[in-house]
Amino acid sequence: MKRTSKDSRCKLPDNTALKQQQLPAYQLQLSATGVLSGFFATGVFCLGVGIILILSAKSIKEIEIKYTEICGNCAKLREDATNFDKECTCSIPFYLSETMQGNVYMYYKLYGFYQNLYHYILSRSNSQLVGTDLKDVGNCAPFSKSHDGTPIAPCGAIANSIFNDTIILSYNLNSSIPIKVPMLRSGITWWTDKYVKFQNPSSINLSSAFAGTTKPPSWAKPVYELDEEDPGNNGFLNDDFIVWMRTAAFPTFKKLYRRLNRIQYFTEGLPADFPVTRFRGEKSVVLSTLTWSGGSSLFLGLAYTVTGAVTWLASFSMMAVHLLLKDRKMLFIQQ
Amino acid sequence: MRKEGKKRWKRKEDKKRVVVSNLPSEGRSYKENPNRHYCGNQIKTSKYTVLSFIPKNIFEQLHRFANLYFLGIVVLNFVPVVNAFQPEVSMIPICIILAVTAIKDAWEDLRRYKSDKVINNQECIVYSRKERSYVQKCWKDVRVGDFIQMKCNEIIPADILLLFSSDPSGICHLETANLDGETNLKQRRVVKGFSEQVVQFEPEHFCNTIVCEKPNNHLNKFKGYMEHPDQTRTGFGSESLLLRGCTIRNTEVAVGIVIYAGHETKAMLNNSGPRYKRSQIERRMNTDIFFCIGLLFLMCLIGAVGHRLWNGTFEEHPPFDVPDAKGSFLPLALGGFYMFLTMIILLQVLIPVSLYVSIELVKLGQVFFLHNDLDLYDEETNLSIQCRALNITEDLGQIQYVFSDKTGTLTENKMVFRRCTIMGSEYSHQENAKRLETPKELDSDSEEWTQYQCLSFPARWAQGPATLRGQRRAQPLRRCHSAQVPIQSHFRQRSVGRCESSQPPVAFSSSIEKDVTPDKNLLPKVQDAALWLETLSDSKPAKSSPSTTSSIADFFLALTICNSVMVSTTTEPRQRVTMPPSTKALGTSLEKIQQLFHRLKLLNLSQSFSSTAPSDTDLGESLGDNMPTTDSEERDDASVYSGGYSTDGGYRNSTWDQGNIQGSGLDASLEEVLEAPALGLASPELYYEAESPDEAALVHAAHAYSFTLMSRTPEQVTVRLPQGTCLTFDVLCTLGFDSVRKRMSVVVRHPLTGEIIIYTKGADSVIMDLLEDPACVTDTDVEKKMRKIRARTQKHLDLYARDGLRTLCIAKKVITEDDFRRWVSFRCEAEASLDNRDDLLMETAQHLENQLTLLGATGIEDRLQEGVPDTIAALREAGIQLWVLTGDKQETAVNIAYSCRLLDQTDTVYSINTESQETCESILNCALEEVKQFHGPQKPDRKLSGFCLPSETLPPTSRAAIPEVGLVIDGKTLNAIFQGKLEMKFLELTQYCRSVLCCRSTPLQKSMIVKLVRDKLSVMTLSIGDGANDVSMIQAADIGIGISGQEGMQAVMSSDFAISRFRHLKKLLLVHGHWCYSRLARMVVYYFYKNVCYVNLLFWYQFFCGFSGSTMIDYWQMIFFNLFFTSLPPLVFGVLDKDISGETLLALPELYKSGQNSECYNPMTFWISIVDAFYQSLVCFFIPYLTYRDSDIDVFTFGTPINTISLTTILLYQAMEMKTWTIIHGLVLVGSFLMYFVASLVYNATCVNCNSPTNPYWVMEGQLSDPTFYLVCFLTPVMALLPRYFFLSLQGTYGKSLILKAQKIDKLPTDKRDLEMQSWRSRQRPVPIPGKAQHTHHPVPPVPERAFRASTPKSSSPPERKYKEDWVLHGEKCSRDHLKDHPCPGDSSAKLSSREYLLLGPSKTTTSGAYSSGQTDEYRPSSRGSHRRSQSSLTI
Repeated sequence: MKRTSKDSRCKLPDNTALKQQQLPAYQLQLSATGVLSGFFATGVFCLGVGIILILSAKSIKEIEIKYTEICGNCAKLREDATNFDKECTCSIPFYLSETMQGNVYMYYKLYGFYQNLYHYILSRSNSQLVGTDLKDVGNCAPFSKSHDGTPIAPCGAIANSIFNDTIILSYNLNSSIPIKVPMLRSGITWWTDKYVKFQNPSSINLSSAFAGTTKPPSWAKPVYELDEEDPGNNGFLNDDFIVWMRTAAFPTFKKLYRRLNRIQYFTEGLPADFPVTRFRGEKSVVLSTLTWSGGSSLFLGLAYTVTGAVTWLASFSMMAVHLLLKDRKMLFIQQ
Repeated sequence: MRKEGKKRWKRKEDKKRVVVSNLPSEGRSYKENPNRHYCGNQIKTSKYTVLSFIPKNIFEQLHRFANLYFLGIVVLNFVPVVNAFQPEVSMIPICIILAVTAIKDAWEDLRRYKSDKVINNQECIVYSRKERSYVQKCWKDVRVGDFIQMKCNEIIPADILLLFSSDPSGICHLETANLDGETNLKQRRVVKGFSEQVVQFEPEHFCNTIVCEKPNNHLNKFKGYMEHPDQTRTGFGSESLLLRGCTIRNTEVAVGIVIYAGHETKAMLNNSGPRYKRSQIERRMNTDIFFCIGLLFLMCLIGAVGHRLWNGTFEEHPPFDVPDAKGSFLPLALGGFYMFLTMIILLQVLIPVSLYVSIELVKLGQVFFLHNDLDLYDEETNLSIQCRALNITEDLGQIQYVFSDKTGTLTENKMVFRRCTIMGSEYSHQENAKRLETPKELDSDSEEWTQYQCLSFPARWAQGPATLRGQRRAQPLRRCHSAQVPIQSHFRQRSVGRCESSQPPVAFSSSIEKDVTPDKNLLPKVQDAALWLETLSDSKPAKSSPSTTSSIADFFLALTICNSVMVSTTTEPRQRVTMPPSTKALGTSLEKIQQLFHRLKLLNLSQSFSSTAPSDTDLGESLGDNMPTTDSEERDDASVYSGGYSTDGGYRNSTWDQGNIQGSGLDASLEEVLEAPALGLASPELYYEAESPDEAALVHAAHAYSFTLMSRTPEQVTVRLPQGTCLTFDVLCTLGFDSVRKRMSVVVRHPLTGEIIIYTKGADSVIMDLLEDPACVTDTDVEKKMRKIRARTQKHLDLYARDGLRTLCIAKKVITEDDFRRWVSFRCEAEASLDNRDDLLMETAQHLENQLTLLGATGIEDRLQEGVPDTIAALREAGIQLWVLTGDKQETAVNIAYSCRLLDQTDTVYSINTESQETCESILNCALEEVKQFHGPQKPDRKLSGFCLPSETLPPTSRAAIPEVGLVIDGKTLNAIFQGKLEMKFLELTQYCRSVLCCRSTPLQKSMIVKLVRDKLSVMTLSIGDGANDVSMIQAADIGIGISGQEGMQAVMSSDFAISRFRHLKKLLLVHGHWCYSRLARMVVYYFYKNVCYVNLLFWYQFFCGFSGSTMIDYWQMIFFNLFFTSLPPLVFGVLDKDISGETLLALPELYKSGQNSECYNPMTFWISIVDAFYQSLVCFFIPYLTYRDSDIDVFTFGTPINTISLTTILLYQAMEMKTWTIIHGLVLVGSFLMYFVASLVYNATCVNCNSPTNPYWVMEGQLSDPTFYLVCFLTPVMALLPRYFFLSLQGTYGKSLILKAQKIDKLPTDKRDLEMQSWRSRQRPVPIPGKAQHTHHPVPPVPERAFRASTPKSSSPPERKYKEDWVLHGEKCSRDHLKDHPCPGDSSAKLSSREYLLLGPSKTTTSGAYSSGQTDEYRPSSRGSHRRSQSSLTI
């Protein structure tokens, strides 16, 4: 409303490239000629990688032994809660037709076990697992405390539902005496898990460290007695426990169980303990080797190959269109 | 204190405001102040205070739907049954959004606060009883009831009732430019009864009570009365009210009492805050958001049902199904319902929260660049573009209709004398034309010019007797503007050539207007003529022969005399010069002059009563000397001063003779003084105050030939001749200009010859009718000569008109003393009559103004603003329909339309002027039918498309044959259309028209038209205007643009953007509009894509986690993803990306159509991008899924490649969208990508157990050491983007769209590009813009003479290239190349319609000849009739 004489200061905008939107620029214009080479290159690359991947996936030796039904009796036994501490064993003989070279990894594989459920994932206490506060059972309900109020260690649904089958690999040379295959229990966890995220409470010995806590309801033994052979593999630092606690992304998953040296011919004696029927799932044991790209499946190789093929197809079709319309394009320029 | 009690009682009684003086209660406590209930003068436009800011701002922000939605989501997060990870975290986005908006609001409010503070602390002078004098106070301390003294050029602080003016006649001049944009001076009058106080006003003696209406926002409405202590009442009206914001001019001191203060002033009440406008993209976006919400609900529903079904597959609870804390499980249905809520939280990002913030930020960035554009900066006014609305920049790219004001918007409103013709010889003033062609140079030194010589014309001396200062005789002239006050008050004729110098603004006196270079050929002739005049004085009884020399002298005398220009000096306050100031320079007879002044002053005093009589009546010319004038003053109920008046009247009546003697005595003495030599250039400091710029231009032109108007009083005009002699003419009578007669006349007595001469100036069409008939002249030589002159003048007039000049004819007539006396008595009778007064006055004028001798004609240019035709052509090419809505006269508007190429000479122009609805309907029907014939059958689709111009859809061959159509319509007709529900017909017709002109439209009509077009055709509209009369139109349109720097601030205040020149509109729309639109539109689409794509990843995962609402991505990463990792590139894209370079956009306006058609953002693009987002999210999820299936990967390790993949995909997608890669684009893209990795790595390395259940410790690091991760991360984006990339490449190579072609052209090297653009343009427009060359292709129709016999100069106008005729008289159609009989159905009633015929080329001379000859025999009745008719069409 008011005219102020102060307005007279110069309002001339700066003449800079930025302010005048005149920055030097590359103009992105997708056109056939520029794109075609890119398409071809991508196609070549994808095809190459795909073939390599497929080949390497082929080199992986993998054998899966399902034992849900064979060990069904044990499962039935387990269904009765009073029998939880009874031993039940079943054995599945299998024949390895090919030599598995190199390191062999033994996995257990579960079908339809939803470790990724929202509530399930949450049901753990990280501060307890890291050994700082055993009594902290924050998110673990209803597996936080026993009936008498003592905190459960390790608490929560994940720990409670741990896979507790014991798998023993035996080697039957001539169907007489099975020789137990030596298996490495170590090195199956992430290094950071074992040394950072999971720690036992500091004390003279484990049992005293876990004093004042109780075992999860479905566990047979307390956490400090998981591995009777190796005392260092007990408590929260138990490798099998750590592996289990890293919740799988999909309902069907395998988890590393043991590492093996070279194997040729085996019979398997398995104490089938793990209840599978409750979630109508299945369980199996997988023996597998690894390649440079990890235990990647065939899929990635296929996907690469397909992508490469599609890219080539696209580039060919573009070329076709390009050739077809070349005259018209010239027309446009001269029009 | 009786008054006080009464006052209080009155306030309760009715809706009145009672104001008494504050002075009696001064110094006492506040409670005793009688005016304490009224609002103070402090204004506060800021919304918040420091304390109230946070609650108030949050409250206001929550009014926005989106914010409310997000708040709801946050609340939902805190509901325990809903499985939210961390409710606190979910508050972060909404908090950031609210904070950003709050900061923006706070900043805006701070600006308002600061400007309030400046205004509040301005100083004014208020009377204080303690000090017994006026003391300085701040505006904010002014209260109702205070007495304020204002000096010249001060701004009025509040609404003030004028009680005293230093002007002896109690007049105070006011410039209301700040308020309504009118730059001419207005007069305000002291309240009756206060004008006696000659010396000084004594506020302490004021003990009256003022009763007036409550505050309202009618600027021109105010009523009240003043109650004197003795119970008598004096009424007053708006003519005594000084409005806040106006500027005092020409008045030394004015004193008044404050009536309304602060927010109750009319100015503030009129100043409604800016309304919130929502852009089209935003509206479109909101509907799409609803789609998204629908999508969200669908997905949530799938989740809920899926959860229910999945849970139902288990007969007993599996070990991973975790019961609640008490160990019990939820019922399935309830679980499903809870899952629904959980899913809403999980997928909430589908509604892009950050979109709103981003849009605001992007718009800020766009506005920043708008502000900084050098091309939109105007050096003259030192103003760049101002964006007052921050949220509709992108609408600039979608405009389909532009509504423009004319004066000051298209034109500079600087009238410049261009050329003239005298006695049939043309003087082209080449130098003048050259000077005008290079306006820049001149403008640059305009400051000097104003310093040197400021001549001003504050116009509007129309309030009649008020201006008289002791002059008894004639009133100043009145022109059409003032005759129609209600309409005219809205419509400004003028603008100021306002230079930012220390000088006060002076109307119509920029250097361009003042400085006329004389024609070389004419100059010597003028000198001869002047000499001839000199000699005339020697031989007194010289006979006025029609020689060229005398005609030239007469011509310039007419230019000088025949106007209502007042002269004043530059000294402040500008005082009216009633006698030449140069006399001072003589120094010879100062005493004599003093004596003279004294005598004049005495007269003034004795006459001061009469000056207070408000006579708003119109055409009344009081002819002082020769008739009793009582009637003209008698119309008021002013009983107060009736006593004084009657004596005055008596004095007048009785002393006419005496006065005459006295007057002649004065003359004698004056002449004695003035005839002295050596006047020279001693008086450069003259302001010419003209009512209209035309007059000013003519006076300046005469001045250039040294015929200088030195002074003007109602009774005398002094002219200085080139030789320095001053001639003083007695003005016997002035017949003011009015729109019906379209001419004005001045009757003067020549000081040398003593002849009574009538000088008439007017529209050519009118004057040509009134010329004396050559046939009547006995001498055949003279007759021939006259015919020749007339024919040649007419030819020149046509030439001028074609050049877009405003033409005026100058004529004179000498009458005998007896005739004049007879006429005066006739005139007196007419004045005295009560009925039919107007008609009679008109008749008397016609009796005088006939048998004129043509002297010549002038061509005045209302200069178009620089670049207007070019801008209009570009806008039109861009597919924008341009309408001109003006309050101006039809002829002027049409003229301007031609000169700015809005209409073309070859167009068929329909003009509709009617008041009756039936007539209007039939005309519309007729026109429609005719136009449809022109355009053939393809029209209907064009109509549907709404905004398409006919020319563009037509093949070139057929187009050549089809004339463009223009429509001219006036305010009355518009009224009929609106009342008669003919809007749809009107709109249909307008869609065939190339351009539409609405003349004589009121501000309300302007806004109604804008609304009509906007709503009925649902198009994007833009209004551009510069004055207060455009405010309503500016507000009605989707985008309002104010032109700043010319007129007042009203238009700017109400506009969304303010630019300083019309031509800036071109770049603003074509370049910035296009950019803003395409940037923002593509950014919005991108945002939708981005969010849908990302959220779907989570959704797909639900199928693998039992619909439990788990995520595989860390929550923080998810938030960071939207807030940091992917937010910057779209912002940079939205601010900086240029799909096409500015030069190309300017060169190929057609590209603008992409914005009009919403090519970047429409349902199609939206859904395509949504589908694409679905595809991409599928790829991004399932390739990793299939890769990692059956492996020992854990939940969050799986999330990391997914997150990385989607980020890569989304950024690459953005990279494909960016058309212009600058270093910033690249940096931001790469930076975002790197930022993701750095942030993730740091986060994953430091956070051991921080975000349960994620525990992201070392996840990223672990992934980076896994070759599978890289393999997946390379493959997936390739797969995801392959289709789009393929499609874009195909489109980029073979696409047909204009944008793509333009992009290609853009990439070419400069020389090739220019070539390509030329070929493009020629391709688009096979027919070049029809120029003069084309006229030959389309011969002018042989218009039958009959047409012109019947035609009547209906609605005047200065320059005419076309003649109107009655539709009925001959139902002929005229198109460019055919003229055939075609009786229009149902047009029998269309009496008032007229068609314009274009007369071009060879037929011109013949037609003009026919015209004049046909006219002569029946000119009286016909002109009479025409006046009646146009009158009837002009008054409602």
